[in-house]
Amino acid sequence: MPQNEVVQDLGLDEYKYHFITEDEPVFRSGRGLNEKVVREISAQKDEPQWMLDFRLKALEIYNSKPMPTWGGDLSNLENVLEDIFFYVRPQDKMEHSWDDVPPNIKETFERLGIPEAEQKVLAGVGAQYESEMVYHSLKKEWDDKGVIFDSIEDGLKNHPELFREYFGTVIPAADNKFSAMNAAVWSGGSFVYIPKGVELDTPLQAYFRVNQEQMGQFERTLIIAEEGSKAHYIEGCTAPVYSTESFHSGVIEIVVKPGAHFRYTTIQNWSNNMYNLVTQRAMVHENATMEWLDGNLGSKLTMKYPSCYLMGEGAHGSVLSIAYSGDGQHQDTGGKVVHAAPNTTSQIVSKSISKGTGRSTYRGLCQVHEGATNAKSNVECDALLINETSRTDTYPYIEIEEKKSNIGHEATVSKVGDEQLFYLMSRGMSEEEAMALIVRGFIEPIAKLLPLEYAVELNRLIELEMEGSVG
Amino acid sequence: MAEWVKAATTEECSGEGCVHAATPEGEAVVVVKVDGEYFALEDRCSHQDFPLSDGSIENGQIECVFHGARFDVRTGKAKSLPAIKPVKTYPVEVRGDEIWVQVGG
Amino acid sequence: MEGVTDALNADAVQSLASGAPEWLQNRRLDAWATYERTPMPSTRLEEWRYTDLSRLLELDSLEPLPWSKRTFDRASAPASLDAALEADREASGRVVELDGSVAHVELDADLAEKGVRLLSLRDAVEEIPEVLERRLATEALPATDGKFQALNAALWQDGIVLVVPRGVRMEDPIRVTRHVSRTGQAIFSRVLIVAEPGSQVSFVDEIVSEDLEEQTLFSSAVEIFAEDAAQVQYVSLQRMGRGAFHLAQQRTIAGKDSTLDTLNVTMGASISRLDLNARLMGPGANSDMLGLCFGDGDQHFDHNTSQDHDAPHTHSDLLYKGALDDRARSVFRGIIRVAKGSQQTDAYQTNRNLLLSEHARADSLPNLEIEADDVRCSHGATVGQLDQDHLFYLMSRGLSRPQAERLVVIGFLGEVLQRLPLGGVVEKVSRGIEEKLNG
Repeated sequence: MPQNEVVQDLGLDEYKYHFITEDEPVFRSGRGLNEKVVREISAQKDEPQWMLDFRLKALEIYNSKPMPTWGGDLSNLENVLEDIFFYVRPQDKMEHSWDDVPPNIKETFERLGIPEAEQKVLAGVGAQYESEMVYHSLKKEWDDKGVIFDSIEDGLKNHPELFREYFGTVIPAADNKFSAMNAAVWSGGSFVYIPKGVELDTPLQAYFRVNQEQMGQFERTLIIAEEGSKAHYIEGCTAPVYSTESFHSGVIEIVVKPGAHFRYTTIQNWSNNMYNLVTQRAMVHENATMEWLDGNLGSKLTMKYPSCYLMGEGAHGSVLSIAYSGDGQHQDTGGKVVHAAPNTTSQIVSKSISKGTGRSTYRGLCQVHEGATNAKSNVECDALLINETSRTDTYPYIEIEEKKSNIGHEATVSKVGDEQLFYLMSRGMSEEEAMALIVRGFIEPIAKLLPLEYAVELNRLIELEMEGSVG
Repeated sequence: MAEWVKAATTEECSGEGCVHAATPEGEAVVVVKVDGEYFALEDRCSHQDFPLSDGSIENGQIECVFHGARFDVRTGKAKSLPAIKPVKTYPVEVRGDEIWVQVGG
Repeated sequence: MEGVTDALNADAVQSLASGAPEWLQNRRLDAWATYERTPMPSTRLEEWRYTDLSRLLELDSLEPLPWSKRTFDRASAPASLDAALEADREASGRVVELDGSVAHVELDADLAEKGVRLLSLRDAVEEIPEVLERRLATEALPATDGKFQALNAALWQDGIVLVVPRGVRMEDPIRVTRHVSRTGQAIFSRVLIVAEPGSQVSFVDEIVSEDLEEQTLFSSAVEIFAEDAAQVQYVSLQRMGRGAFHLAQQRTIAGKDSTLDTLNVTMGASISRLDLNARLMGPGANSDMLGLCFGDGDQHFDHNTSQDHDAPHTHSDLLYKGALDDRARSVFRGIIRVAKGSQQTDAYQTNRNLLLSEHARADSLPNLEIEADDVRCSHGATVGQLDQDHLFYLMSRGLSRPQAERLVVIGFLGEVLQRLPLGGVVEKVSRGIEEKLNG
């Protein structure tokens, strides 16, 4: 298969990303979250006063909000948060040339296949190691057209007005406990600006790696897609497996201006000791389209519900989500669509697979405000259960205030049918091959929308995971 | 039917950026002071109905403490998600050391 | 101690308990203690997210309604009660309850001979205490289930008990008609149905009132047991006037190979809250759960259902439909829970809503929690307006728009009735819908 040449090793295999790079960070905050840590982070980044004020206020909000009692099991999280490092600075500055990245970090990302991918298929690449972006580069042709693809810190430094106009307006600090935490200690993430009418023909990719034991990563990404622009942003995440638990809590804010088209793809394959609590939201204006493609494969617990606020007439939002929960994992994922203008349309498709003691939960919201006439929304959730110890839940919220709307939600739960298996086995397949084929067929409608290298990796993962699933 | 009612005294809402809850005629109103001027808004965030009077003022906007929604104190317009709809505003008059608002309009 | 008022307090419980057998006194007092220590449900609770009791329920202004013996005289029956009785058809037994006090009970003589018991709850305390001690507010709706379950278990004034002995089959339904006339009161009533193995019964529980000037609370606690291979149909028709707050708690317990179907029709009251929990406890148990509501004005309906599959080879199928006009609002929150080990389970849940006005609102939360893998489960929810193509078709056939709309709405809601077509019920509900559409 010729495509194999460009297939990145994305870590969707059996967990081969368990390798630890020996290194010494240049700065590390104390353990736990307090005002001192917040001030240290801000000082390390040499931030303007307003950002320090924003962080300190967010810390107050964080402390005042109770731990969520819904979703996954967060009972041990407070202990985990006492012990982790909220900020780890791996090197002094961010590089724009791959050769200048320190050798140990470079080696890590080379093992993850980043440089080749950049050369071959990407418009730009960012890499975050621990708390900071260590590398960011954008192909010259896009730079010339005014595209900005930079670390969030450089976004604040180099484009202060643009940054301040949008930062925190899509996801305020007080939105939820973890958005408040992120607002207090954010570090790393991307600042992306696509100028009016510019269409990127290849994706931008950011890669997130946690290497240290017991650390928290809090990237913050702000994306502005101007009128009529088009772009695709991909993020991938891995970490080594430690015996202690780690924590990742990102905030992704996206503004999609009239007529623009933006797609945000996440393939999250954190190690199985990671809490992954992420807030992702897009504000979608007239005739614009926002697509979230969300793949949750790793982590101990993920709670993530990408949202589209359809603010302008004719806006379209979609959330396509695949979740895989193996032994001990809980993927509590889904999507939210809020129709606030006429003729808006949305779609949520969620496919989950629970295996062993894994648990997959769909949680979603479809809201239509009065006056959002002719809003149309369709939600489909399918859950596949592999073993009798597996679990799945579906919790949709449908809130409709507009008569002239058309809203549907369907969900099904099924196991792999004996007849299906029997048929495939009668064609000469082993039971495991048959199982893998059925699971692949189940996720195919979403997998086919992934960039090819991800789709191939996803299929490989499923084959590996289905080994030993039967009998 | 619109009528003017006393909502607060200037003493109750004296400092810059002050946020004061009042219930003239049983209506939940929040009186705020911004740039030396008084404004009155419905004391109910349009996002999930929490009282805005628990919130704070920044840049001429009142911020709901519960989920961070912000509203322009002059127009009631939503300035930040998760709020989408505006909140009601009321005409305000300062009569001596009393703040009057026009409710039921 | 939220919710303790001049009317609802320990003295009221004491006065109801005095003179009762010891087990019952204790049960009421324990229930009251549970009520006192249970906080009032707030919108922060998932199950009460859309019904804000702090705004909707005026507990403080409710007056105590001491129990008094009432007699029933058809000739002087109020209009709504008279009409309800008039439309009734053949029955195996009839009960009339006035302001929470059972005033009339009659049962087919053959059935009485076969051992069927149909009696007021107060009489049942005297006559069949062993049944009540075992079943009343214990297995099905114990006080510990929630604030209002506790309140009803402490303060019930009367109610209806039906026991159908092993193998007895009843051709016609038992028909209960309740009427409320006292405004500003709090009324607590219970239903207990025990269908012994292999028996069969239908039970139609209707409540009517005129419009009530002040908020009037009617709390109904319904406990139904279908033992092995029994067949039970329970229908609730709620057609109270404005001013009423109807609070219904129902739990059905279906044993091995039994069928226990319910239909809840919500047309009246200003506020109506239903908590229905179907428990499929024995292998082969089956429950169809049907519901329809039609809201207009500023009616607020909240349906909270759950389907608990606690045994393998169980089947449940829920269909709730709502049509909402004016500023009416409905909430449907349903959950299917399939417990570990409940293999070969089929569970379905469908909620469909029709918005007929600009300002109506429907919220739908169909949930699933599945802990067994060999299951077939699905749910679906829709919210939309009248099917325009359908309307245009009917209008092209010469119907006026209102006529066409009426037909479409009746067709939409009628699907529910067709699934449990009990004599008398279909006509009553259809007429109720028509009255609302004309209204």
